[in-house]
Amino acid sequence: MKIAVLQFPGTNCEFETLVAVKAVGMESEIFRWNRPAGELSGFDGFVIPGGFSYQDRLRAGVIASKEPVMNALKEEAGIGKPIIGICNGFQILVETGLLPGNGKGNGEGSAKVDMALAQNVMVSQGKIVRRGYYCDWVNLRHDAPSRRCSGSFAIERGALLKIPIAHGEGNLVTTTPGLMEKLNEEGQVVFRYCDRNGRILNEFPFNVNGSTENIAAICNEQGNVLGMMPHPERAFFAWQLPAFDPRKQRPDEPGPGRRVFESMKRYIEVNA
Amino acid sequence: MSMNRKINLRVWLKIPDAEAATVKNTLIRRLGYGNVLADVKKERLFSIEVDSGDPEELAKSFAKELVNENKESHIVLIDELKFEEGYVPVKVALHIEDGEAISIRERLRSRLGFENVVDVKKATVWKLYFDTLKPEAQMAAREIAERLLINPNKDSYEIMSQ
Repeated sequence: MKIAVLQFPGTNCEFETLVAVKAVGMESEIFRWNRPAGELSGFDGFVIPGGFSYQDRLRAGVIASKEPVMNALKEEAGIGKPIIGICNGFQILVETGLLPGNGKGNGEGSAKVDMALAQNVMVSQGKIVRRGYYCDWVNLRHDAPSRRCSGSFAIERGALLKIPIAHGEGNLVTTTPGLMEKLNEEGQVVFRYCDRNGRILNEFPFNVNGSTENIAAICNEQGNVLGMMPHPERAFFAWQLPAFDPRKQRPDEPGPGRRVFESMKRYIEVNA
Repeated sequence: MSMNRKINLRVWLKIPDAEAATVKNTLIRRLGYGNVLADVKKERLFSIEVDSGDPEELAKSFAKELVNENKESHIVLIDELKFEEGYVPVKVALHIEDGEAISIRERLRSRLGFENVVDVKKATVWKLYFDTLKPEAQMAAREIAERLLINPNKDSYEIMSQ
């Protein structure tokens, strides 16, 4: 079981992600964007880690989405291999059209772009109280059924995870008619931002970026492609948790982010 | 009846613009415009609506706040917006709520005392230089806007007249 951790110019979480993937018992290597794209077929799954590919020029993820390696990744997605895009990886998957992955494309080998991760706008009591880059620990509620999505395959519905975010463009918006209903009805909304009791409150600081319906992560229709703004690799070990979290004092325990990588492994085992 | 005036600030970098270079590179190397596209430049555009005051003097004050003269140049256009010949100007702006434009308006009004500021709009103008004739260039510019410059879920674009 071998996982490629994709690296674009400006990616900055590839080594932590590599550690996380290996720590759950999968082989892994960093796959640079300019390697022959056909070599991707030798891998069983893919992670696009966070960072600032191409310095977020134009808008986050769009320049990387035009790289030939992404066309090869679309083919791998098409045959059901799991792909997890974290933060900037999520932005790249959205700009590629792999998420939500409903459109058939415009005839140039690219899928239709059905949503955007726009600039953060933090709203409280109807007023913008903050905007732009933000990093913090957030609470996530797993809203998809277990086994629905590769990156949350082994997580039960309703589970709460505390994982950090760090981004400036995570505000999920769409003008595609009926898309939100479809995402909800088909269990494609994987994680939502919530309070520590799992309540979905559409107010900053619970909704940390203004995202529609507090969405933090979605998967494609088939469930093999997951995009999430929070960074599970930064909450992989309990010692990575913030000082106020009592689990930090038990460093041998796994952190909540580990479940995402364990899910990917389990998804591959089940679908092999 | 009040006659609001619109102050347009076109702002561009005096130093090399890495973002414009990346867009040009992507259009040529990844999207196949090498035969028609000669160059790409970029400007920021602020359109500030005021309900009183001398627009020329106000424009100077706004430029002090919004333009960093160490690295940027600008021109002011009052109640009009025109561009030079030789390129196709494509204006890209958010069609969702623009938090930065709102912040600029509030900064000008509340912190800096320009209470005559009614509205602020912000956009990016991509200046696409083509080797082809104008009709083909306009068509290519539309295609480029839709394939790369905008995400239609949050941005809209307009080909500006010259």
